[in-house]
Amino acid sequence: MSDRNAPPSANIAEIAENLFRHEAGKLVATLTRIFGLDRLRLAEDVVQEALIRALQTWPYHGIPHNPSAWITQTAKNLALDVIRREAVFRTKEAEIAAGLERMAADAASSARDASEHDIKDDRLRMMFVCCHPAIAEESQVALALKTLCGFSAAEIARAFLTNEATIAKRLTRAKQRIREARLEFEIPAGGELAARLDAVLRTLYLLFNEGYKASFGDSLVRAELCHEAIHLATLLVEHPAGDQPRAHALLALMLLNAARLPTRADADGTLLRLEEQDRTQWDQALIARGMMHLARSAAGDELSDFHLQAAIAAYHCAAPAYEATDWPRILSLYDCLVEMDGSPVVALNRAVAVANVHGPRAGIDAVTGMRNRGELESYYLLFAVLGELEARLDRFDLAAEHFERALALTATRSEQAFLFRRLRECEEHTPAAVRSI
Amino acid sequence: MSTELRTSEYLLLFRGAGWQNSLSPQELQSLMAQWVSWYEGLTQQGRVKGASPLLPEGKIVSGKKGRLVADGPFAESKEAIGGYFLIQADSLEHAVEIARGWPILEYGAAVEVRPVASECPVFADVHLPQAAAAGERS
Repeated sequence: MSDRNAPPSANIAEIAENLFRHEAGKLVATLTRIFGLDRLRLAEDVVQEALIRALQTWPYHGIPHNPSAWITQTAKNLALDVIRREAVFRTKEAEIAAGLERMAADAASSARDASEHDIKDDRLRMMFVCCHPAIAEESQVALALKTLCGFSAAEIARAFLTNEATIAKRLTRAKQRIREARLEFEIPAGGELAARLDAVLRTLYLLFNEGYKASFGDSLVRAELCHEAIHLATLLVEHPAGDQPRAHALLALMLLNAARLPTRADADGTLLRLEEQDRTQWDQALIARGMMHLARSAAGDELSDFHLQAAIAAYHCAAPAYEATDWPRILSLYDCLVEMDGSPVVALNRAVAVANVHGPRAGIDAVTGMRNRGELESYYLLFAVLGELEARLDRFDLAAEHFERALALTATRSEQAFLFRRLRECEEHTPAAVRSI
Repeated sequence: MSTELRTSEYLLLFRGAGWQNSLSPQELQSLMAQWVSWYEGLTQQGRVKGASPLLPEGKIVSGKKGRLVADGPFAESKEAIGGYFLIQADSLEHAVEIARGWPILEYGAAVEVRPVASECPVFADVHLPQAAAAGERS
């Protein structure tokens, strides 16, 4: 190793928290280009082995000065061993070896601009492969997490609250589809780009939402999913192929929502309502980045649902206090969003905005009038919202009924704790005579 | 006759292969970090005399004049030695206590703790009567 004789930096604190995961994402993409997309599995194996070597070496010799160059160099050596051993590579050996040399030289080089550019191209290619319409949607997200973000099947399973075998099956199926459909490892161009970019944006949005929705799972893992989605969306908009208004809008909506993530629960893990959150703890750096991308999303005359969602999040972030929220504007954004996206969840959120502009009674009417309300009959948030609105009308007995119904529909501890608290608060307001009925 | 020797050096041999294969990049990094911190802690206490990882490949030489040279089948073995630390400890118990801090134990690997003989056991035997005599005097 080139770093063997250099004094080790030996400072574990200097190592980026997700270094191995992100190196894995970069290297798998580059090795896939070099080996060919049909050998994705081989690229993954080589990278895994390189990281194992780091674990087996660094504790003894110290952490190398340039950890990412060390890992790349090791991956190159392992890959060279493989192509010399495997007959299928014989005809392409020289070409592949040259590609590997270039990869390692780029990683060690201080002139990073050119090489960074290539690496980004490779990751974009991989992103377009993972989000290819030929692959089932549920497999797309799993594949993106595995190949681009360096998650293991077990970690993906934990994030999606399913078992490892299910995720492993999805990954296998996705790789099978890649071969069957003979997908190309390329960034689509021309007329194809727009449609394929939409597919990428959908998958990243799905990934973010998996992390953002509070309905299940381990909160740390979920926050990580949000940050991975932001990481990938950032890579996307930094590339000419992804530098589109709606891509900026998606990134903006992720950043502006993620900025509020840490304040959504109290120290005991009980969910907090927007009006209860400590706004001083909102991540101002993320908000600033979000606002910047929101501004960039305004280029041109494109208006996607991402634009509307980002704008709604921006109004929340911009309000110094809950009371200062510009609800009329938020409501008009929801009115547009409902036109574009007929999902009942959007309609439910709109009803909350209605209540804040026109009062709780109007909010309840909006919920009652929802066209496809039936789809939400097993959604705890529907009843949590109704409970809140009834409580605002001081109809605590009705509110308690809704909270109890909501409670029966969620298995998440933070949500249950929140609903228990609201139920207690309702009881405090309900006269004993009513309670005993 | 006892061959027990006073020593302060112990060899920690890290045994086990394959425990890391199914770990994710994040887990590998986290273990690397824990292991490095453990090592740094020992270094700061001045306990580390030497340390090296061992590559999985190797040969076994045996037979008269080393006629038999076999490939070391270490890679797959639970017994495979992945590396060693040479440390200074106050006693075998102390060295064991130190070994207990190796973060990889959680993953099914093992540490073999071996006292390093401070001198050739044959000479130690020669010295023993004097030591015994010294013991009687006190």
